[in-house]
Formats: sequence, C-alpha cells, structure tokens
Amino acid sequence: MADMQTFLIYRKSPDDKEPRYERFEIPVTKGMSVLDALFYIQDHLDSSLAFRYSCRGAICGSCSMTIDQVPMLACRTQVSSVKTTKKPPKLPKFDFGKNPEWKKENEILIEPLPNMKNRKDLVVDMKPFWRFYKEIRPFFTKKWKENQPEKKQKIKEINAIEHLVYCILCGLCWSCPINAKNEHYLGPAQLAKSFRFISDSRVTSKPRNAILERVSKDDAVPACKQYFVCNRVCPKGVRPGTAIKHIRDKWMEDEK
Amino acid sequence: MLYNTKKPRFILGTRDLKLKKEEFDAVIVGAGLSGLRAALELSTKWKVAVISKVHPVRSHSGAAQGGINAALGNTEEGKDDSPEKHAYDTIYGSDFLADQDAAYFMCKEAPKIVVELESMGAPFSRLKSGLIAQRPFGGAGFPRTCYAGDRTGHSLLNTMYEQCIREGVKFFDEHFLIDLIKVEGRITGILTIDIAIGRLVVFRTPYVVLATGGFGRIYKRSTNAIINTGDGVGAAFRAGVPMQDCEFVQFHPTTLYGSNILITEGARGEGGLLFNKNHERFMSKVAPSAEELAPRDIVARAIEREVREGRGFEGGYVHLDLTHLGAERIKERLPGIREICIYFAGLDPIEEPIPVQPAQHYSMGGIASKIDGDFCETPLQGLYAIGETSCISVHGANRLGGNSLLETAVFGRFVAKMLLEKGKQVILESDDLRKAEIQIIEETELLFSQWHSNQGKTPAVIREEMGDILDSKVGVYRKRKELEDAYKSIIKLQEEFNEVHIETKKRQFNYGLIRTLELRNMLDIGEVTTYAALWRKESRGAHYSLDYTRRNDKDFLVHSLVFRTKDGLKLETKSVKTGMFEIKERVY
Ligand SMILES: Cc1cc2nc3c(=O)[nH]c(=O)nc-3n(C[C@H](O)[C@H](O)[C@H](O)COP(=O)(O)OP(=O)(O)OC[C@H]3O[C@@H](n4cnc5c(N)ncnc54)[C@H](O)[C@@H]3O)c2cc1C
Ligand code: SF4
Ligand code: FES
Repeated sequence: MADMQTFLIYRKSPDDKEPRYERFEIPVTKGMSVLDALFYIQDHLDSSLAFRYSCRGAICGSCSMTIDQVPMLACRTQVSSVKTTKKPPKLPKFDFGKNPEWKKENEILIEPLPNMKNRKDLVVDMKPFWRFYKEIRPFFTKKWKENQPEKKQKIKEINAIEHLVYCILCGLCWSCPINAKNEHYLGPAQLAKSFRFISDSRVTSKPRNAILERVSKDDAVPACKQYFVCNRVCPKGVRPGTAIKHIRDKWMEDEK
Repeated sequence: MLYNTKKPRFILGTRDLKLKKEEFDAVIVGAGLSGLRAALELSTKWKVAVISKVHPVRSHSGAAQGGINAALGNTEEGKDDSPEKHAYDTIYGSDFLADQDAAYFMCKEAPKIVVELESMGAPFSRLKSGLIAQRPFGGAGFPRTCYAGDRTGHSLLNTMYEQCIREGVKFFDEHFLIDLIKVEGRITGILTIDIAIGRLVVFRTPYVVLATGGFGRIYKRSTNAIINTGDGVGAAFRAGVPMQDCEFVQFHPTTLYGSNILITEGARGEGGLLFNKNHERFMSKVAPSAEELAPRDIVARAIEREVREGRGFEGGYVHLDLTHLGAERIKERLPGIREICIYFAGLDPIEEPIPVQPAQHYSMGGIASKIDGDFCETPLQGLYAIGETSCISVHGANRLGGNSLLETAVFGRFVAKMLLEKGKQVILESDDLRKAEIQIIEETELLFSQWHSNQGKTPAVIREEMGDILDSKVGVYRKRKELEDAYKSIIKLQEEFNEVHIETKKRQFNYGLIRTLELRNMLDIGEVTTYAALWRKESRGAHYSLDYTRRNDKDFLVHSLVFRTKDGLKLETKSVKTGMFEIKERVY
C-alpha cells in the first residue's frame, strides 16, 4: 500500500466571498511532485481544482504557489521532501484571509501566490505582473536588416547577464513585503529584467536611459528596502534584490 | 472576434445568441517560437490576433536546452561547414523521407535566422572571438549548434516575446482553440473557449496559422510539457485535413524514471554508464565501439530490449551511473543534471545511479502540407501550419537535434512573409457564415452538456489507458501483432470517450473540461499514429518494425496521409520531394 498524505488546500470560486480550506488524502508514489499530487486530485477526486501548469520541469514558471508557507514551484517540489527540506530563512507571514487550521506536522498546506488577487483556487491574477513587465520596456529597440553580418559580444559581457536571463517570470519573488504593501511597486522580477537590459553590453545609451528613467521612479528601485526575500525564494538564482542594489549603486549615482 | 454576451450555460438556441463582433486579418494559434515569429512579422502590417492556451512564455519552446542549428562556421573545426552540408545531414538523418526542397530551404535560411535572433537580443553563448558559440550535436558533420547555455529555448522564446511586446502584438492568453470554422471549403475563423471565464469566443478571419506545437502527451512517458496535446492537429483533422507521417515518433533514450524529464546526452558524454539490473553494461554488447555514445535510436532500442527481456528494474528502467565520476566532476560538469535528479527524483547522482528509460521526445508528423503547395500551406484553403505541429516535412523519419528550433523560426517568418504577399482578404458577412458559426457554438454546447450528464469513465482513466497502450505497443520497437492490439484498444477507448463524464457546468478555469477537449484530440492522433505504423511495413528512421527490419524504398519512400471518412480511417500516400541529394543507406 502506498503511503497516504493529507493536503490542505486553499479553495475559492470566483463567486465565493470567502475562501475555504479543503483536505484531500492521496497515495504518494516515488518521485511524486506537489504538482503531480494536485493532478491526482484533479483527475480522481475533484476535477474543479484549478491551478496553472505547463512544463512540469521548472522552466515555464506556471506553477508558482505557496507550499507550507513558502513560495515555491509545485513541479520542482517533491512531496516526500516538503517536511524535510530546510526552509529559506526570514520569510514574511502570508495572510490569505482565513485561518487554515493546519496540522503542521503532517499536513501539506497549499495556498496561492501571495500579493496577487485570487481568480480561483490556486490561480492568481497575473495581469499587474505582466503590465509592470511591459512598463520597463524589456526589449532591444534596434531594427535588424536582412543579410547583415553577425555581431560580436565578449564572453565576459554575456556571462555578466547570464543569471538574469534565466528568470522564468514565475512571480515567486512577488512575495516581497514591498509588494504586499504597495500595489504600484514594479516588483523584483521586473527590476531584475530591467537590469538584464541595462547591463547588456549590446544595449545603446538611449534605450538604456529610457529604462533607467522608468526604474528610478518612486515605485521602482527606490521602493526596495533590501529585504532580499526575492533572492531567497527565486528558483533560478536570478538574485533580483542584488540586481536592484546594483542599479541603485552603479547606475543611479546621479539620483543619489 | 465574436462572442455570446450571455453566460454560455443559458444558450438554448440561435435566438439567444447576441454576437459581438471583431475580425482579424489573420489569427495565429500558438505562441511558442513559431507562432511568435509569425506574429512579429505579420503584426507590422496587419491586424493579427495570437491565441494561446497558456501565457506565451509558458510555451514548450522554453524547454529546449541544446540549441539551434546553423552553418555559421564560427569554430575552427566548423569553418568548412555550409548550408548544403547542413541540408545533406538533415536529409540523411531523416532517412531520406524529408522533402529535399524544404530541408534545403531551411538550412539556407538558418544563418540569417540565427543572426537575426542575435539582433533581437538573444543572449547566445560566445566564443573567444566574440562570435556565437557552436557545439557538436548528433548526426551533424560539424559543430553547428548555436546555444545559450543549456537554456537555449528559454532564451529564444523570451527574446521573441520581448520583440512581440515591442511591436504591440495583440495576445489572447488562456484562450483554448476548440475547432476551426469553414464555409464552402475555406477557413472563416476559429472557435475558442476563454479559460478564465469559460465563455465560447469566435474569431473571424480568412487566414489561420496553426502553431500549436507537439503532441508527445499521447504517450504517458514523454519529455514534453503537459500541454503538448496536439490541439491544432485535432482541430484540423476534424475539419478534414489529413495527418502526415504520424508513425514517426522520436524517442529519447535517457529520461528520468517517473517524470520523464530529459537527461541530456551530456551525461553519457562525460562518461556516464548504463547498467541493467544484473549490473551488466549492455551497451558494450550492442555497440562495441561507440558503447554508451551510440546514436539516440540505438541506445533507446537497447534499453528497451533490456527491459522487455526482464533485465530492467521493476517499473521498466535501467541505471545511468555517474557515481564513478566523483562529486567534483559531477558538480563542475553536470550541475544541471544533478539539480534535475535532486528536485525531480529526490536523489543525488553523486551517491546513487539515475533511473532512466526511453520516452517520447519529438513528433515528426503533423498537419499535412498541401501536395505541390507552398511550404506551410495545408489542403484547407486559408489554413497554414508551422512548427512542431506541422509536417512540412523537414525532419522526415527522424529529426536531428537542434533542427526543430530552427524550423520554428524559419517557417514562422516564411509563412508571415507569404501571407503578406498574398494580401488581405475579406470575409463577407453571409447567412452561411453566421449559420456555420452558430452551429459550431451549439454543437459544442451540446457536447459539453453531454459530457456533463454522461455516466461513463472519467477522462483521466481514458488518458492513462491511451498512454499505456502507446507506450507499450507503439513505442521504440513495433510488432504487427502489438500494433493491431493497440489499434483495437484505441478504437475501444474512442467508444468509451463518447460516454466520458466530466463536470462542465461551472466554466471558470475549468481545467477538467480543458483536459477533456485535449483528450479528444489526443485520441485521434493516437489512433492515426497506430494506423500509419501498421501500414508502414518497413523500418525507417524512428519507426522500427520487428517484422520488417529493413528500409524499403520501393514501396515506402512516400509520406503517409491519413484522413477520417465515414467508414473509418483512410490512408493515402504523397511522394517525397527528391532530386537534390542521392538516396543512400543510413549508417552511422
Ligand atoms: C525537453 C526538450 C528539449 C528540446 N530541445 C531542443 C533543442 O535543443 N533544439 C531543438 O531544435 N529542439 C528542441 N526541442 C524541440 C523544440 O523545443 C520544439 O519542437 C519547438 O520548440 C516547438 O515550437 P512550436 O512553436 O512549434 O510549439 P510550442 O513552443 O510547443 O508552442 C505551442 C503553442 O501553442 C499553444 N497551443 C497549443 N494548443 C493550443 C490550443 N488548443 N489553443 C490555443 N493555443 C494552443 C500553446 O499555448 C503554445 O503557445 C526540445 C523538445 C523537448 C521536449
Ligand atoms: S526573479 Fe526568480 S522568482 Fe522572480 S520571477 Fe524571475 S525566476 Fe521567478
Ligand atoms: S509547470 Fe513549468 S515551472 Fe512548474
């Protein structure tokens, strides 16, 4: 017989005023991820359980949620390791509007991403996330021509942005306490993305300055209080907090 | 765009439909690399809608690791490379089933496409010279694969999305394509469901480009994203467009047991060894000189044989052992693989061997292209297909690593330029058009309410059975007897699917419903794959038959085209475009 594991899951329909928490018992198999467990519930116990997914391999950024009060990717989290893995230190307390009455020792608690509006169950409204993403103008502006020669870049220069490029736009870093307080805050991922362009040696000064101007406003780099929660929850080693610090220290000197 | 302003569950008849209308010059379904590339080009001049069932950056293109091929000749070893050589490798690798004109076109475009991607901001890895780095890849005569670390697909997908944002491309995220709408043999639009609110939405347009990606999920064991369910193929098939070459399915030899996440060849390249449960290195028997580094299909077949003959571990896997490499080397050279093992299997390859098994990896077949039409053009007027969902055919019976990312960008761009050249078309409002739109909405509503009241199996049960059948009987090795069994079983599942039960009343974010729509498409593809595999009485590329172990050019150097007729499936053949390169035996 497979071992059974209880999941305590945040549920909310768009028509519900209040969320509720529901318990599901499921048989755990070897190698089962939290995402697999959610699929087990959707397939066999309650087809209405809503959550986002795509790659199941920690590369698409769909399955962000809060697992045992830690923002994580469900596909990258083994059911068997939820209770044994060390949690990142100094995370804020997340409040989802109701006391889950959670038996911490043996139940796995599943809640949506914090600081985003809930749409249904574990699905949150990512619209502000994408709106702020667009606001920093995250793109090359140069036009390319047919049959132009290949352009060069130094190994050192590309290596400088490599970890920033790895961002999968999963939104876990929006668990930052600033996002909790200030709904206009552009957010760690967005600022890390801006740094990806600011520090790309191929970007010319005009578009760079446009980005810098945007992220120098009150709701962007200056709003960051260096909690570094983003660095600790990021599954891809992007270190958004460090990126923000770099922008502030290196690129915004005039503003200081 | 056209949608019912009332909640769908109140739709009773045509009288209740209040349709709001918005039209597009073209609609692209799919926001992976191919769909985005097409959208970027088309949106410069036309009003275009891009429909995707997930946010664009969640598309499966983001999972590609290895790289994208182009004969840039940037490395010392690669300086004699050329598009012609690239084309030859591609055609040779395809076991001569690729259309030579298409493959040649793709390889000729390749350098331009990669340079263009770089100009868009793609963060390619670099050589000391500052040029784009290139690595050797299976089946290629030169180091030809351009890469961005081990996350090439992710980097390219993000870059392309960024450019689409710059261009102001109009996206309809989390809209799911259900069916195509046609009037008098020509496309007039598509029917979708807006996943968030569960409303049916019609997009009216004279041009539809399907870029819906692969369909590996017909197999239970697949390296593909869970969303790779072939919805574009299914919709086109229901609209009468045949599926082409679906018997050709690429299997990757080493995927992680359980989740089937890809464990790259790099692990064997660094010295990883394969063992069966008796701790025998079976690869030394199968390929005495290449051993673990033999081509993908050979390693996949060898592993499968160990398992079939009872020398695999319980559950059907073998061990890929890295432990002898030592902690330091693993940490330094294979950090990505170690991370995958820790997070997805809960084991550390420094301490234990990795359980691996072959799994579906790439779908060479797909939506048929028109005989003697332009590349990407399907037999249905106004309908085009690009990317993994299409069968153009550049990969023939077997795709080379690094050629599929290339295909997405080349043909995404190509199809857009072609449409711009053809020019805008208008769809005239007519009774027939309105009838067709209303009819499809009503039929779909009826289907949903049937699914709701049915008493049969759940979609999950049918999906599992389908996956098991395809894994065990339409896999790496094929036998006539097993294929016949599989075909019968799938027909039975199709019947059971008519009685499938799923809750459809509450429509908001009803993924149970979405996954049932996906299953409908997958069952058709599974049926066609098995049918075409039964028909192909030879071994070619990825299709390996134990009854017919040799290639047979006399009878089978042709593409298969499968249609649905009243009396069941029907198969026709289509000749392969040849003439540029001589047809030879494929040996490595
Ligand atoms: C693990 C892995 C590694 C790979 N590595 C490489 C590599 O190194 N090099 C290489 O060349 N190739 C590689 N490939 C193959 C390559 O990644 C794919 O063939 C390619 O990315 C497919 O791109 P696409 O644009 O056709 O489709 P996708 O990127 O899959 O996009 C499909 C799009 O269609 C949308 N869609 C699907 N159905 C619907 C629907 N019903 N309604 C609305 N929208 C829908 C999706 O939302 C998505 O946006 C790899 C594949 C895998 C699985
Ligand atoms: S920075 Fe990290 S946590 Fe934030 S969106 Fe990117 S990958 Fe996710
Ligand atoms: S499903 Fe893609 S990151 Fe988890």
